[in-house]
Parts: sequence; structure tokens; C-alpha cells
Amino acid sequence: MSTSAQGIVERLRSILGLAPEAPVEQLKGYVEVSVDPASLRDAAAKLKAAGFDHVKSVTAVDYPDKKQIKVIYHASSMLDESLSGYVVGLATSVDRDNPTVPSLSSIWVSAEFQEREMYEFFGVNFEGHPDLRPLLLTPDVAAQRPLRKDFKVVEEDDYLKSTYDEYTSTKRWV
Amino acid sequence: MGTEGSQVQSLPGMQVHPLKKNLYEVAIGPAHPGSGHMRILVRVEGDVMVEVDPDIGFVHRTMEKLSEGRDWMKNIPLFERMAILDACNVTLPYVEAVEKLLDVDPPERAKYLRTLLCEINRVASHLYGFGIFGVFLGHSTLYMWAFGDREVFVELAERLTGARLTHTYPMFGGVRRDMPDDFGQHVRKAAAYMRRRLDEYAKIFLLNPNIRSRLEGVGVVSKSRAVELGLAGPNVRASGVRYDVRLAEPYEAYDRVDFEIPIYEEGDSLARAWQRVEEIKQSLSIMEQAVDWLEKHPREGFVHEKFWKTAPPIYKKVYAGEVPYAGKYRVKMIPLYASLKVPAGRSFARTESAHGEITYYVESDGKDVPYRVRLVSGSYRNVIAFKYVMPGHRLADLPAIYGSFDYFPPEWDR
Amino acid sequence: MVDMVTPYEIGHGILRYIIFYPPVYQFVIIPGLIAALVVAIFIIWFERKAAARVQMRYGPYEISPRTGGATQLIADLIRYSFQEIIVPRTVDAVIYFAAPVAAVILSLLPLDAMPLTTNPAFWPIPMDYSLLLAVALMTLSPIFVMAMAWASNNKFSVIGGVRESFIVTAYELVAVLSMLSVAAAMSTYNLVDIVQAQSSGLWFGLLDPLAFLTAFIATLMTTSGFPFEIPDSESEIVAGPYTEYTGLMYGLDMGAAYIKRWVFSVLMALIFLGGWAPYVPGPGFVLGYLVPSLIVSVKALVIMAIMSFLRAVYGRYRIDQALGIGWEILVPLALAAIGIGFAEAYFHVYAYMGVMALAS
Repeated sequence: MSTSAQGIVERLRSILGLAPEAPVEQLKGYVEVSVDPASLRDAAAKLKAAGFDHVKSVTAVDYPDKKQIKVIYHASSMLDESLSGYVVGLATSVDRDNPTVPSLSSIWVSAEFQEREMYEFFGVNFEGHPDLRPLLLTPDVAAQRPLRKDFKVVEEDDYLKSTYDEYTSTKRWV
Repeated sequence: MGTEGSQVQSLPGMQVHPLKKNLYEVAIGPAHPGSGHMRILVRVEGDVMVEVDPDIGFVHRTMEKLSEGRDWMKNIPLFERMAILDACNVTLPYVEAVEKLLDVDPPERAKYLRTLLCEINRVASHLYGFGIFGVFLGHSTLYMWAFGDREVFVELAERLTGARLTHTYPMFGGVRRDMPDDFGQHVRKAAAYMRRRLDEYAKIFLLNPNIRSRLEGVGVVSKSRAVELGLAGPNVRASGVRYDVRLAEPYEAYDRVDFEIPIYEEGDSLARAWQRVEEIKQSLSIMEQAVDWLEKHPREGFVHEKFWKTAPPIYKKVYAGEVPYAGKYRVKMIPLYASLKVPAGRSFARTESAHGEITYYVESDGKDVPYRVRLVSGSYRNVIAFKYVMPGHRLADLPAIYGSFDYFPPEWDR
Repeated sequence: MVDMVTPYEIGHGILRYIIFYPPVYQFVIIPGLIAALVVAIFIIWFERKAAARVQMRYGPYEISPRTGGATQLIADLIRYSFQEIIVPRTVDAVIYFAAPVAAVILSLLPLDAMPLTTNPAFWPIPMDYSLLLAVALMTLSPIFVMAMAWASNNKFSVIGGVRESFIVTAYELVAVLSMLSVAAAMSTYNLVDIVQAQSSGLWFGLLDPLAFLTAFIATLMTTSGFPFEIPDSESEIVAGPYTEYTGLMYGLDMGAAYIKRWVFSVLMALIFLGGWAPYVPGPGFVLGYLVPSLIVSVKALVIMAIMSFLRAVYGRYRIDQALGIGWEILVPLALAAIGIGFAEAYFHVYAYMGVMALAS
């Protein structure tokens, strides 16, 4: 559990050079810093220079009612002992219909495969990514952007409903 | 094996990539004796690998999407299937993250029980990794020995939880049941047996000159490169980086037991193999210490009061041992869990599993199903090493490097 | 008056001219095809049992528990015989079918150049250069493995075939050199004289252990024995040249590998372990031909059993490491073995035993 919340929050503010009213929240288990997409690369470079040397996970969360997709980079440090107990979540929110986020894989190489996964599941376009293609899914499934909230998982019945002709046209048994 | 200029039939969704002249593409594919459930597209020039492209996703079971439609409690068996060898380690961060949202701290006894099972699973998982490593190098003896010895620990887990692999042991607020009375002697016997066997493993595998020549200097990952790529688990500790979640952010009972983190400097495949052997030894000592503590302290609660007080009296009688056969009364889960509503919030938790570091990001909006669960496992973070470490080595080094990273495809694909 | 042919003479004729006719006997019966198959079955069973004993398990058990699973291999053989042979469409059909058959035949051919007794009536090829001929014939079969790999039209097979070609080049050289060191020591290429020279218990394997060691390692290498199981290494290139073969064709491929190992072992038993040495062949078929060949076969079986035990201990070398061992370590050792042979000839080691008179 991250203790001494104030210490890390102050340190982050000074690293990133943020104004005192900029949102840095101490949540349960990590500290979230929200920036806008234009200054994302800048903030990431400053964090890396301060010692946060790898990304643990890249998450995208879909908020259909706010019409936003929020992308969070959870970064921490392996080499710096004073920082390795803390996890920083660098978050940005982008528009849901055309989400574009600058890619951080040139700064943190560990984010490369995770950004590919967020691309295929949410449709978030990472600009500047060297190799943006689907990682887990086949292209026609990835085109439906499965992890968005408007993709409903259709429960399959024990009995097949479609005929063979429908299968040959859509290549999918339902 | 089409050549340049041959006519290929075009199917929907097919992509054609032209290849450079001297590169020969070999697909170490999903139906290959040495690949696990993934495909590695290797482009070789002669015998030297030039480009390696891991093509994963053959075991994708859409766990993140499924978790958004299930109750909080039902997600624990779902996430367990990610790396079933390591069941406690893999579901523990989820349980911890939700406990942070619920503001519930499990009792001491539950923490020690979770630690005990975590270490049993860690040893079993490392032995499994050794077995697969032996098969990749053609050494069938290590494979048979490792899987035979793993039975000892799988049976220990069965005594403790009732199931060989699918434990589902940690719950929100505690653990599912307490340990049997004679468990301590079994743990000590198993630890003594394993320590003897590790010497024999060293003699036949790690000090075998044949295997040493295959592993020494192969797949070297330097310290800065390991941190830059974000590797996790024993792989990064074998490159000289002193990082372990159990040290950096201690969870459960790890700040009260005495153990060391072995570090190796070389960063090659042999160092990774030795790292796992040393970790097994440390795990055995943690298991013994946890069992000592558990035997000395009285059997008080193993689930937090908030949940325990809602249980019907028959549950309390069964768990106190006053009822001989619990199945007659259908004692199952404490009913509060079935309709658990977690307060809104966002949390993040991480533990150290055998393959690496597992992190969960859990977001709740007050309902009885999660809003978003994002999980990143150790193997997920290690797969990037295939792309960056393997080129420059010979084709026959691919199984050596693959096996030494202890990559587990279901853990990546989720 | 026409001489009536008695049944005794018919029987004698069949025995003399068909069964115990040396080229047929040695190619088909002992130590030929039948003996090779029986030995292959026994050795595969022994390999599995010995490895199982090391690996804390039982090995073949279910089929006939009282004999320790000995008939498991017969069951496997029957299964191979009835399995469907699936021929891929993209394969070069003529070579695909002809290469394994040719490999088996050519692997057995050196047996026809080795005399197994002192009686000149039972020599397949009566010549003074039998050692040289046997060693030369042993180098014929690898080309067909490469033909198999090419005809299979599969990337893994091609990689396996290329590895096989590299290995064969290196290790045939070592095998030939180490087996010719006996000629240096005894100044003769005649296998009968070589075995006679060892009849007083002075086996050549004891006098020149370097040659024995290099010949043993070279045999392991050419026939895919651990730690050198490179052309058909399962976890890297599926089954190498044998990937596209199923059913009885696969059985033929595996058989070719074991038959080659058997032939090498027979030659090594003749050269290094004294052949039929303590036994002096008498007249007639049984005492003069059957028994010496059985003695040689038993000695060859011991060599093969040692090779199959190594499976439980070693992993697999990488191709460039194996080639490094071959060219940098084993070729100089084989040349040193020839040097030791020359030294022994200089000091008349075998002449002291009063055998040099035979050769001169």
C-alpha cells in the first residue's frame, strides 16, 4: 500500500512542473496524474528522466456517457529504490469517436506491445507507433473494437441458429 | 515456400508481405513440438535469426471483457485460469485491489495462509518451467524429474485447499478455509525432499557441460536493457536488477518473514535457470516459516469480521469442526459475496507471481459487476524480449532462450 | 544312370547355397536385415526402459507387465504396418518413396564386406581389403537422407537436411580415420587377420582406446544419438528430414537410422572388441558360421546398449557446437589415433604375438 501520500504527490508535482490546481489524485494503490494529449509526451519524458523507467500497464477505459476514452499509463521504477514502491498513472482523455493519442513507445519501449493491444480492442490510434497492428485478435474481429461498452457479448445457444449459407457469407457461426 | 513472382490465390483478410531476398521465413507455429500455444515467425539468414515476430493470441479467452459481466466473486475463478499453475499468485492482486476499494484488511491468519499457498504455487510453477525447459533442449530426464517432483507440491496444495490446481483460495476479506492440523509436518517433509532434489538437478542439468555450453552466453540481457524493456520476474533479477514486488511494496505477510532475493549478474540463460533454482530454495524457507507461525498461533478468524458475521450459524459450526460432514448441509460460500456491491473507485494492486509481476487495475462504479479490470501478467511483459533479444542468435538458440524466459502463453493471452 | 538327389542333399543344398550363402546370409539374416530389426526392437525397448529407470518411472508397462513391457515394440511395429501412409500433394513422389528404401538397402550393404569367420568358404567377398571396402560402403547412405529432405518440400525438412549434410561431412571423416587406425597398427586391411591378431586377448580397443573413443563418438553423431540428435531434433525442427513421412515409411526412416548404428557397431566389434576372438571357428555351418556371427552380434549389441543409455543424461548440442567438436577436437584425435597405430607397428606389438607372419 502506498503510504506517505503527500510526499509522492508533491514530488510528482515538482517533477512534472504542474500548477498546484492540476489534478494529481492519490487513489488506492497508485497516484493518478491527468494531462491533456498534447503534453503527454512531454510529461512522459520528464517522468522517465526522473527515474520512472518502465511502464507496467497501458489501460484504456471507455466512458460512453461522457463520450471519452481514457488512456492510463501506469509507470514505476525498478532501479530507483525511493520510487519503486509507488506507481504513477499518467492519464489522458480523448474523444471517443476518433481517439488519437501520441505513442509513448519511443520513450518507454515497454509500452510497445501494450499499445498494440489497446489499439485493437478500443480502436485508439497511437501516433508514431512503429508497428501498429492487431496483436491478439484477427483483423475482422479487431475492427469491431470488442472492449468498448457498445459491443455486447452475445450469448451462444446450444443449438446453431444460422444455416450453412449464412456461414459462408459471414464466416461466423452464430 | 513460394518464390518471388509466384501467383498466390487471394483470400479475404489475407496480407501479402514481400520478403527480402536472403531471408527464409520459418513459422515455429502453434502445432509444433517446441512452441507452446503461440507462433513465432522467424526470418533467418542462413542459420542466424534476423527478425523475430511473436504472433500470439491463440489462447485468448477474453477475460477482460468477460469480467465486466460477472459478479465480483465470480471473477476470481475466471482470472485463475490465466495461469492455473500459479492460481493463488494470479488472483491475489485482484482480491487485494477489491479489498482496497472495500476498505477491508484481512486478519493476520489469512495473510499467512495466503503467503503459504503463494509460495507452494511458486515452487510448483518454477518446476513446471524447468520441465518445459528440459524438453526444449532435448533433455528428457529433467522433464520427467521436474514434473514428478511437482506432484509433491500439487498434493500439498490439495491438502490445504481441497483442489489440486484450481484453488480459488483467496477471497475478499480472507481465505476460503483454514489449514488441516497435520499440515506442518507435510510441509517440512516436502521442503527437505525438494532441497535434496535440487542438488541432483544441478548435477544433471545445470552443471552438465553439454547444457552449459548451450546456455552460457546465450540470450544475454544487460541490466539497463532489461529495465528498458520492462521485463518482469526472475528474468530481470538474473540481469542484476534488484527488484521484487515483495521487497518494493510488501503485501500479505512478506514484511514479517525472513527471505533473500537472489541476484545474478550475467543475464544469460544459465543465470536465469540458476535464479529459479535459488528462488525455489527461498520459497521453501518462507513456507517453513509461515507454517511455524500458523502452528503457534490459535485458530481465530480467517475471514474478516464484516463478512463472517453475516454467515449462518451452521457455517460457523462446520468451520469449527463440530459437524462431521459439511456436504450434508450444503455449506458453500458466505452468502454476502453473491450480492456484493463494491463502492465506486479506482485501485491498483500488484504481486510477484512465479513468471513475473502481475498488476491489476480495477475500476468500479458501485454496481455488482466491475466496470473495468485490466490485468497485465509477467509473461505479457516478457514477450517483448523475443523481439529484441533473439535476433543475432542462431535458430537453435530459440528454444534455449524461450525456455529460459519461462514464457507461459495462456498468461499473456488471458 | 542318373544320380538320385536325396533329401539330405537337397537340405544341404538349400543350407549351403541359399541360407548360408555368405552374401545372402550376411545381408538378410545375421547380422543383416532380420538381426538388425530384432536388435532395433530390442534396443528401442532397452532405451526406453533404461531411460525410465533413471527418470523415476516405469517405461513400457501396460502391454505385458510380467515381461516388463517387452512386447510393446511388437505392438508398435504392428501399428506402424497398418497405419495409413499419407502422401502430401506437394511432394516429389519418386524420390519421396525411393529414398528411404535406398537408405535402408545402402545402410545394410557394408555387412556384405565383413567376413565373420576364418573358414574361406564362408567369406562373402574373398579379398584382402575388406576393411577398406566396408568403411567405404558405409559412406554411401547419407545422400539419401538429404534426398528425403529435399523431396519433402517442407521448410523444416530442408533445414534438417542441411544440418545432416554438415554433420555427415564432419563425422564420416572422423569415423573413417579412427577405423583405419587399426590398419596402421597391424599393417593389413584384411579383417580376418585383424581379428586373428586379437585372438590372444589383446583387443585393439585396449591398445588404442583413443581410436575406440573417436569411433564411438563418430557413430553417435552420424546416427542421431544423444547428445548429437541434431538432424531430427524434435523441439526445433519437428522431425527434420522425416517430417512428412507417416506410417511404414516413418518406420523405415527410423529403421534406417538404427540399422546404420548397428552396422557401425558390428564393424567396431570386429575391429576394437576382437570380433569372434576367444572362440576358434570349427568346420560346418553351425560351429563355423552361425556361432561366430552370433558372438560378433552380441558384442555389437553391448556397444549399442551403451549408446542408448546416453539418452537419459545429455541434452542436445547446437549444430555449430557439434561441428566445432568434430573439426577442432575429434579430427586431431583421430589423427593421433593413427599415430598411435603407427607407433604400435614400429614396436612390433602385434608381431611380438607372432601374428605378423600371417600378413607378410
